[in-house]
Amino acid sequence: MKDRRERSFRAARAALPFATLALLFFVPEIAGGGSIVYSTCVTIAIFAVMAYGADAILSYLGEVSLGHTIFWAGGGYAAALLSTRLAWDGWLTALAAVVVGVSLAAILGLATLRTREFVFSLVTYAAAIVAFEIVFNWQFLGGSDGVVGIPLLTLTSPVGDFTGGSNEELWPVAYALLALSILFIHRFRRSRLGQEALMAQMNPDLAMGLGVNIQKVRLMVFVLSAVPTALAGWLYAFQRAYVGPDMFEAYFLVFMLTAIILPGRRVLFGPVLGTAIVIVQQTFFSIGGDGDKIILGTLLVLVLIVWPSGLIGAFRFALRRLHR
Amino acid sequence: MSSVLACDRLTVRYGGKTAVDRVTLDVPAGRMVGVIGANGAGKSTLINALAGWSRGRPEVEGEVVLGGEPVSGLSAYRRAHRGLLLVPEGKGIFGGLTVEENMALVRTPADTRDRHAFGEDEIFALFPRLRERLHHKGTALSGGERQMLAISCALRAAPRVLLLDEPSVGLAPRLVLELLKRMRQLVDLGLSILLVEQNVRAALSVVDDVYLLERGTVVAHGPAEEMREDKRVVEAYLGRSDIEIAEPGSPHP
Amino acid sequence: MILVQQFINGLVLGSGYALIALGWTVLLGAARLVNFAHGQLYMLGAFVAWFVMEQAGVPYFVSIPVSVLAVALLGAFMQASMTRLVMEQNLTSLMIVTLGFGYMLTGGAAILFGGAPQTLDSPLQGMAVRTGGVWFTLQDVLILACALVLFAAVWLVLNRTRIGAMVRAIAEDPKLAQLFGINAPLVYLGIFVFEAATVALAATLVAPRTPILTSMGFEEVILTFMIVVLGGIGSVGGSLAAGFGLGMFTAFFGTFVSPAYTTAAAFGFVLVLLSVRPKGLARR
Ligand SMILES: Nc1ncnc2c1ncn2[C@@H]1O[C@H](COP(=O)(O)OP(=O)(O)OP(=O)(O)O)[C@@H](O)[C@H]1O
Ligand SMILES: [Mg+2]
Repeated sequence: MKDRRERSFRAARAALPFATLALLFFVPEIAGGGSIVYSTCVTIAIFAVMAYGADAILSYLGEVSLGHTIFWAGGGYAAALLSTRLAWDGWLTALAAVVVGVSLAAILGLATLRTREFVFSLVTYAAAIVAFEIVFNWQFLGGSDGVVGIPLLTLTSPVGDFTGGSNEELWPVAYALLALSILFIHRFRRSRLGQEALMAQMNPDLAMGLGVNIQKVRLMVFVLSAVPTALAGWLYAFQRAYVGPDMFEAYFLVFMLTAIILPGRRVLFGPVLGTAIVIVQQTFFSIGGDGDKIILGTLLVLVLIVWPSGLIGAFRFALRRLHR
Repeated sequence: MSSVLACDRLTVRYGGKTAVDRVTLDVPAGRMVGVIGANGAGKSTLINALAGWSRGRPEVEGEVVLGGEPVSGLSAYRRAHRGLLLVPEGKGIFGGLTVEENMALVRTPADTRDRHAFGEDEIFALFPRLRERLHHKGTALSGGERQMLAISCALRAAPRVLLLDEPSVGLAPRLVLELLKRMRQLVDLGLSILLVEQNVRAALSVVDDVYLLERGTVVAHGPAEEMREDKRVVEAYLGRSDIEIAEPGSPHP
Repeated sequence: MILVQQFINGLVLGSGYALIALGWTVLLGAARLVNFAHGQLYMLGAFVAWFVMEQAGVPYFVSIPVSVLAVALLGAFMQASMTRLVMEQNLTSLMIVTLGFGYMLTGGAAILFGGAPQTLDSPLQGMAVRTGGVWFTLQDVLILACALVLFAAVWLVLNRTRIGAMVRAIAEDPKLAQLFGINAPLVYLGIFVFEAATVALAATLVAPRTPILTSMGFEEVILTFMIVVLGGIGSVGGSLAAGFGLGMFTAFFGTFVSPAYTTAAAFGFVLVLLSVRPKGLARR
């Protein structure tokens, strides 16, 4: 009897993430619709997907990748250049974004294979700045002007064609991407690779003793983590109809880290929640661009210094207090 | 007899696990007190807590009194300034610094009333090997030399009481007794020492008082002569063959 | 002649780079701490000097100590707030926290000093020496001299004094240092303040050569990083040599190949180096 209740409780718990995920689709409508709501929601979805890439590294490898803006921009530029110059459609540009992201990640991953901690972070950071300089100076990639005039996102399918003109039209795509990313992280956490990554972070000696090839795990996770971030960049290009070297800005880097850390690391829905908080602040309660920078930086610093387990950690702590 | 270091119902927990449970202990001035017990009994946890130091993040409760003054709230370096000097288990010196630099790190306090700061000559008289090794890096020293250096550094800081956590680890059995005897000489000159030692037979031959620790609590306590006869001590530590007892305990991280 | 001129340029650039990297060399190598706000502290060093010259009308040479003091204070504040993380040697969090601090500083400086490019005026910048077809300014001479003197001083302190031994001891094992009676948080504070002060000093010396912007700072972090890695992480002498090497490379590559891609080329080299030797060129 107790056993059965226990089991159904477990099943409910396991289903909870999926139910939450399904509910997320209706958030813009619940929030009242309207173009500002839809654009905010699409932006949140895109930025959250971007952050999920970095989350795989920070939460499960325990390293700080400061190079994810490369994959973000890589996806964006792939979409921009191929859709404007070769008139590729949504599917092909998405595929190209993934290929670009994965290739760049493989190169950077191989180069940083043997580096750890601050050397790893610094190399990825330096790589991002150097990539920025190359993009900024290379006319083929649009130089400092970037790429303008990106056409509307079109996705052809046997059921019918889709064209994403407004943010309201883009929402299903953004949502699908977000849902896929969350499912991806969900699977990743349970996968052997995820477990091995966590083990390599917590106890490298033990992991090695159990026959885990740490370098391979690190490389695989790094390459995989580029996929969501590159796809986020892909959609961002279509949402803005423009890409430029500004995609390398420190803003995105600090944003990703804040979105992960503010709710607390290793929380499945953490990055969406973090992204939503920051984007809502910047959209509806902005105190100007420079002021927002101060807010973002302060949030990051305060959480790590005062309450490293983040908002969800604080919430759980409060719950436990109440239970006692 | 005045007490130089004492603790009252000292409790130390790691997370939820209690490693030291309400231990009350007293080191009288000019005496050498031993703490013995099995691996994992909580000896290091206890001695570290007295010094306000740890490699982990333990929660410590209870009073520690040094020379009549409570020091529970003080951090490790302040206790060191006041003459409570710990030579920890395992690595007790800096490998990247030379012997000379290691010793120079310690600053002899200005106010050394009722304390004695050991000068270089005294230290080299105690451990002649160190003089030859003065310009070698810590990493180039043997295990025994490292222990000697760690003890020397503590002596330079004018200890009121010296806390030694298994100073004999890594020493040849013959040298264990020699080192402990030299420590005894220091006590006879007026120093107070609290010694944690796996090498029970050797320890019992030099200390005045003994505490027997089991699973974090003091289960027996008394003068060394009495404890040598104590059933628990005999059974657990003195009953076996000499060889087994002379084997130093495995170094703990 | 162009070769000699480029050699001089390389020397000056290199000493500037080395100066910018000095504080970090000590921080990273000796104390195993990182500070991603390093570039923003550089930016702030330049702007505080500019601000007091502009607003209070103080001369350049007075603005230098003012700026150094102000940035050192800021560094002290940053370190004080990070003490717990530092004592736990929580490098991951420290990196992110300093990155956050840097971002706050960028925003704050933009509000305080405005977004327009400015110039930090040094009287020595206008005094040029021309002989035999080559030229350089007295500011260049000042930078070179300061770099050499400061590096020598830091090397001596680190390797020949008790304070230096304390810094190295803390780097190796901050917990154990406490048992030697060393107040580890205080030493960390000192190291961090030193880092902030030297980068501010470097900024006041180097910044007069180019326009300053509140958005700058990233380039400086990368330069510093490359120097620290090339010099062998934590080696003071190595950093000086690497600074000069990078300066020469920038001067010659910039003149004869392409100025836009100098950083990229140098970084490519560092990347290859790191994949072979992940700990940099250090021998240890
Ligand atoms: N940093 C730590 N975190 C968690 N538990 C710890 C830590 N250090 C010690 N313990 C636990 O506390 C208990 C006592 O350990 P302690 O090191 O004090 O034993 P000991 O008597 O010194 O043993 P040994 O003779 O092997 O040195 C052990 O159960 C150990 O597992
Ligand atoms: Mg022990």
